[in-house]
Amino acid sequence: MLKNRVKELRARYGFTQSDLGKQVDVTRQTIAFIEKGEFSPSITLALKLAKALQTNVDELFWLEGDEEDEK
Amino acid sequence: MKNDFRLQYPLWQMGFIILLGAFAYGLSSPMTEVVNTETENSIMISIGGTQSLFAMIALLLYFILLAVFASQLRKHNKNNPHQKVSAFSIRPPEYLEQDEGMTYITRKAAQKVYTFITWSLPLLAAFAIILPLPKLFIIWGILLVALGQYWIYYREVRSHLKEETE
Repeated sequence: MLKNRVKELRARYGFTQSDLGKQVDVTRQTIAFIEKGEFSPSITLALKLAKALQTNVDELFWLEGDEEDEK
Repeated sequence: MKNDFRLQYPLWQMGFIILLGAFAYGLSSPMTEVVNTETENSIMISIGGTQSLFAMIALLLYFILLAVFASQLRKHNKNNPHQKVSAFSIRPPEYLEQDEGMTYITRKAAQKVYTFITWSLPLLAAFAIILPLPKLFIIWGILLVALGQYWIYYREVRSHLKEETE
């Protein structure tokens, strides 16, 4: 399963889901689905999100289990 | 999103289907008299008292629902000029595909509906072949499948959209 830090970084920059959605050209609902891990975004959207949240895609998204491997 | 007409569209369709089922009951088993002589050519169809009342009430309710539906559709199209809904589109208007997230939930809901149709239609056909069902029951069966597909679609989409938090 794909995990992410979208909610955390969005809160850090004080964006609402709607704000972030407007920046990356998707609906607020799509941002909510991504944050809940319900939906894996396309590479294009992942890159747009990383840019909007001033980070890299691999800092924003990772596969479940990979986190433990690094430890 | 919760007030989005496209989300409510399956519920409207379910309402129309239920009234159509009631209308079908009202019109079931009519008496038909065909006169075809040298001097007269006529067909007379008579329906039972209670059943005709049922058919008339169902038809009246159908037109009332149609009027309310048309008014809601007009209201939606006026408020959402870039996302107009057409009741006569070949593509079902309940598809929510304005971006990849919404396309994802539409696809999930459509998959569930497809699975339901895959099983229910052959089963319905089998019942109709094996059992000596009256025409009305077969019509109700078809309407039940139509009702089921809208309900499955609505529930699936609704479940994704109900926990919306900013």
